[in-house]
Order: sequence, then structure tokens, then C-alpha cells
Amino acid sequence: MILRPRKQDHLLIGKYTGKIVTGVGLLMVIPLITSMVFREWDTAVDFVISISACLIFGLGTQLVCRTERDLNWSHGLVVASGSWIVATLLGALPQWLSGHEGSYLDAMFDVMSGYTTTGLYLLQDLDHISHGLNMWRHLLTYAGGQGIVVIALTFLFKGTAGAYKVYVGEGKDERLLPNVVQTARAIWLVSLTWLVVGTAALFVTGLFLGQEPVRAFLHGLWVFMGAWSTGGFAPQSFNTFWFHSLTYEVLSVVIFIAGSLNFALHWALWTGNRREIRRNVEIVSFTVTLMVTTLIATFWLAKSGVYPDAMSLFRKVFYQLASGHTTTGFSTIYSKAFVTQWGPVGMIATTIAMAIGASACSTAGGTKGIRVGIITKAFLQDIRKMISPESAVVRAKFHHIRDIFLEDGLVRSALMITVAYLTMYVLTAFVGTLYGYPLVTSMFEAVSAGSNTGLSCGLTDPSMPDLMKVLYIFVMWLGRLEFMSVFALIGYAFSIVRGRA
Amino acid sequence: MKSRSMMRVITGLLLLGALALGGCTEVDNPQVSPNEPSSGGLVDAPKEWDGKTVSFTGEAIGEAMVRGDKAWVHLNDDAYYLKNVEEGAHLGGYNSGMAVWLDASFAREIRLFGDYKHEGDVVKVSGTFNAACAEHGGDMDIHATSLEVLTGGRDAQDPVKRGKAILAGILALIAGGLFILNRSWGSWGPDVQQG
Repeated sequence: MILRPRKQDHLLIGKYTGKIVTGVGLLMVIPLITSMVFREWDTAVDFVISISACLIFGLGTQLVCRTERDLNWSHGLVVASGSWIVATLLGALPQWLSGHEGSYLDAMFDVMSGYTTTGLYLLQDLDHISHGLNMWRHLLTYAGGQGIVVIALTFLFKGTAGAYKVYVGEGKDERLLPNVVQTARAIWLVSLTWLVVGTAALFVTGLFLGQEPVRAFLHGLWVFMGAWSTGGFAPQSFNTFWFHSLTYEVLSVVIFIAGSLNFALHWALWTGNRREIRRNVEIVSFTVTLMVTTLIATFWLAKSGVYPDAMSLFRKVFYQLASGHTTTGFSTIYSKAFVTQWGPVGMIATTIAMAIGASACSTAGGTKGIRVGIITKAFLQDIRKMISPESAVVRAKFHHIRDIFLEDGLVRSALMITVAYLTMYVLTAFVGTLYGYPLVTSMFEAVSAGSNTGLSCGLTDPSMPDLMKVLYIFVMWLGRLEFMSVFALIGYAFSIVRGRA
Repeated sequence: MKSRSMMRVITGLLLLGALALGGCTEVDNPQVSPNEPSSGGLVDAPKEWDGKTVSFTGEAIGEAMVRGDKAWVHLNDDAYYLKNVEEGAHLGGYNSGMAVWLDASFAREIRLFGDYKHEGDVVKVSGTFNAACAEHGGDMDIHATSLEVLTGGRDAQDPVKRGKAILAGILALIAGGLFILNRSWGSWGPDVQQG
């Protein structure tokens, strides 16, 4: 029997959604200040409108929905997924007001892509947009990588027990410290330290590459944000191809691989547990699958003779594959070059890397290395069982911060989410083929959206069908929140209509 | 019955939303690339043009990155190479262009580069197209041997729109009012729900 939510439930969900949207409004103060510093007055007005809209919604909702109750699990999931929708609706205002988007739907696509750290975009004439708007694009993806709920937890929530349920609802479940607000702050501590070091390194490199100091700083900051969040937004339409520099590429690879690591692993390293990096199942899984997919693509491209020498071949293949596997989406080749130069095998290898993705509880998307590790271990355990004497007890374990025995429940859960991801990839690709796109192209783009990667082979375009834009927005959201929160929101909407009073 | 009517309302709203979104501005810009092949044509058929001499015209974008006596510049031959969105150009899809490797002395002839506040110089270069350049880690580029500035760049104006400024003022006042109301609620509002 499904129960219809009571007024108290609506009040509670409204209150916390309001808090998170207020947080999004406050975040827009940074691009507003950027616009004012660079005297981009029209952009500054766009941000005043957008901040006000967020605050009106956020404060208005908190005013109407006054309650002291704490959140339970279903509330937490609904708040997490619901606030992402409202934050997308209102967060799209600066993009839309800029005049660079074909429609409000396109603006929402870009904002959802930012929050989910995907990196696909429909914004047109990127090379002529203001610094303020560029700051907003990158801030979206940086904040989205940490999780907009994490931001709200850090600044706006008082340490309620229910806060943990919203945090989990956003696809993160590692509790680094006993208190979830302390955990959120620990995530920020790690991220901000990397921000300072990473931006400084890219800034100095930019100066050596011939950039003006202001541009070198802004590009360094934005490329860092795009890399660390595994978002893939870049300030120029040429993406990281703009820099034509091996050093810049190496730095960005280091940053996006670091960004794709589990926050629990970061915290273990931060607190001195360096052995963890060699033993962690996610690192082992990531290393193996990255090597295999890179080898496949390298073999194919060497055979087809696209690149003139081994160094160029390795540099291009490793960069695109590492970017795809960490679900970053940075690229040093043209989108269409995947079709015209890399061909079907190169595209399939990249698609597999994107589908797997990187670590759980990180800024990355995809099925996640830990699930690949668990499923592989379970498969090997079953083979060992088959070849062992019947009386033998075969147990397997894996290492993730601590040694964990492989239980049936754990394997079932990993398989269930993996099947959900694969189903989402296939169904999204199927819609692409219905619109007449070739299968490999549709699959590449569907996996890129669903795994929150953002590499494109040219299908994503402002002129693509509106239904596909809506579908991609949905799968970006679904993939980032790992299904459960979105299903909880759908269940909540259903119970309002069909539930018993 | 009640739930059925609610479903109808939701479906109606979704349909209206879809119509509103679908009815918005479409990509429509008649401006075409001045090049044959265009940057899109080069990316579509890299093998066909690899190693051949091409002429390429486009707006200089961003900056020149000088490396010793050579430099990188990027030329866009897209729908915005003569006029950008801030100046009222219709939307015409993504930016599109080519990376050009040339003598630093050529790069210094370019006075303005395109960005939010500027429409860059339109320049024409001639040189060899590389589908995957051996000198530059497999980048697709043009190694230019000549450069000609066809049109000088200019400041691109983007004045504040009056209607937007008024709307911003009104919304900021409402948000400020709500903030004060929210802060002072405890002194005059009813007790909160305890569940």
C-alpha cells in the first residue's frame, strides 16, 4: 500500500530544497563579482536577476515551509533529486539571458551538464562569451563535482542527522568523519587545496606558453575546475587543444585523474595512509581497464596510420582515453575526428572506457571501477568454487580503505546498478538510432551523456531534436544521482497522485 | 477521480512546456564560411587535404601564443567571424576554426583578437594543412607561410538593456524583502510545525 505524503512531508522537502536553491543563488555572487571586475555590465545584470530569482524561491520556500522535523531516507532522496531540478531551472537563467542559447531548453541542458560534470554543451559562440558567464559555467561544474548538496551541507545546514540522507541521495555514501557536515567540509578542504596548487601550476604554464597574465590565470582556474570536477568544460571552443602543449596536457591529466579518485581515498592519503593507493580495488580496476582500452585504440590507430609517429599516437590516444575513462571529457582532437580519424574501433574503445567511468564517491560518473572490481572478483570466486573440492569454503575479499569480504548482497547490489547503467546506455542509444544516427555514433554519445563524460563525436549539437535534448538531460541527471534518488522522486510524485490518505 | 484530473493537469502542463520549449529560437544563421574547404570540410575529410596547400580566412580569436620566433593563432570561419552575438548576430551553431602555426612576426600583425568585448581582425593565411602534424604531437593544424589582415577588428558593444535592468531592480527588492521577513519571522510569525 502506498501512502499519500502528508503536509509535514511537503513542508520538510520544501524547506531543504529551498536551502539548497538559496545556496545556488549565493554561488552566483562569484560570477557577478567577476563580471563587475571586468566591467561586463549586461552580464552583471543577468546575474542580479538570476541571484534574485534563486533567493526569492529559496527564501520564499523556507518562509512557507517552516518545520523542525528531521529528514528520513525517502525525504533525503527526494530533496537531493528535486533540488537538482529546481537548481537547473533557475541556474539556467544566466545562460539564457546571455542570448547565446537557442532556447531555454538548451540553457537547461548546459546547466544540467555542468552540475552533473558532464561537459556536453549547446551554448553557441562560446569564443565570444563574457568572463562572468565563463566563470559561471566552470563554477557550476566545480560545485557540481563536489555536489550542490555538499555545498549546502557545508554552509547552510546545521548538523542534523537527516543531512546525511540528502548527502547520500546525491550519489555519495562515504562518511570520512563521524559527522556528515564535517565530511562535507573535509571534501572542501581537499578540493580547495587542489584548486590552489592546480591553478597555480596551470597559470605558470600558461605564462610560459605565451598567454597574457590575466588570461593565463583565468584559463588556469577554469581548466582546473573542468579537470578536477571531471566536467570537461573549457573556456574556448577548441577545448584543451587550444594550448598545444604537452606540459598543459600532463598537468590536466594529473588533475582529472586525481579528481576521479574516491574522496575516501583522498582522505586516506591526506591522513598519511599512502599504501592505500596501491591496494585500493578502484585504482587496480581503473588501471587495468584504462590500459586495455588504450591498447585497443592504439593498436587500431597504429594499423590505420592516422598519426605520424609513436609519440603522437600515444599522446593522442592516452589523453582521449584517460579523459573518457575518468569521465572528464577534455579533448585535444576535433569532435568529428572521432568519426573521420578514429573510426569504429577507436570509438568503441572510448565508449567502453566512458561506460565504466572512474571511482564511486568522487566527481566522476559511469558504472564505477568499484563495481567492475566487485563483479570481476565475484566471477573469479565462482570459477574458483567450480574447480575446488565441494567441501572447500571459497571466500573472496577486496580492499577499499579496509579489507571487505565479498557478500552476496554486495555483489547483487553492484550487478543491479551496473545493469541499470547498461540499460540506460542502450535505451538512450536506441532513441538516437531511431532519429537516424549511426549506431556507433548514437552509442558513443548516449554513453557520454549517461556516464557524465562529455566527449562528443558531433551528434550533440544545438540543432539536434528537442526530444533528444530532454532525454540527454534526463540521463545526465539519472547517471549522476545513480538512479535511487530519481526513482524516489518519481515514487513521491506517484504517491501524491495515487497514494492512500 | 481526483487523481485522474490531477494527471490530466500534469500532462497538460508537460505538453504546454514542450510546445513552449520547442517553439523557441532555432539555429538559423545564413552566414557561411568564406573558405573552400571550410574548417568543417577539413575535419570531415582530413586525408583528402593532408599535406596540401590551403588558403584559410577567419577571425583571429583569443590571443597569439608566441613560442620563440613562432606562434599559435586560432582562426574561426564560423557564423560569427564578421559579427558576434553581442552585436546582434543570429545564432548559427558552434564555433568552428583552425589552429595556425606561423612566424611570430606574422602574429604581431594581428591587432585585435576576438572575445566578449572585441570582434577580432579577419585574416587570411596560406600554408600546408596537416591532418596529424608530426611536429605538434598529432594536432590538426595549418603551417602558414603568409598572412594578410583583410579587415581590422573592433570593439563589440553590449550595453545594458533597460528592461533587464528594471527587472533586476524589482527582483532584488523582492529578494531583499523576503530576506528581512525570513530573519524577523521568529518575532511575529506563528510557531513552527513540530511534526
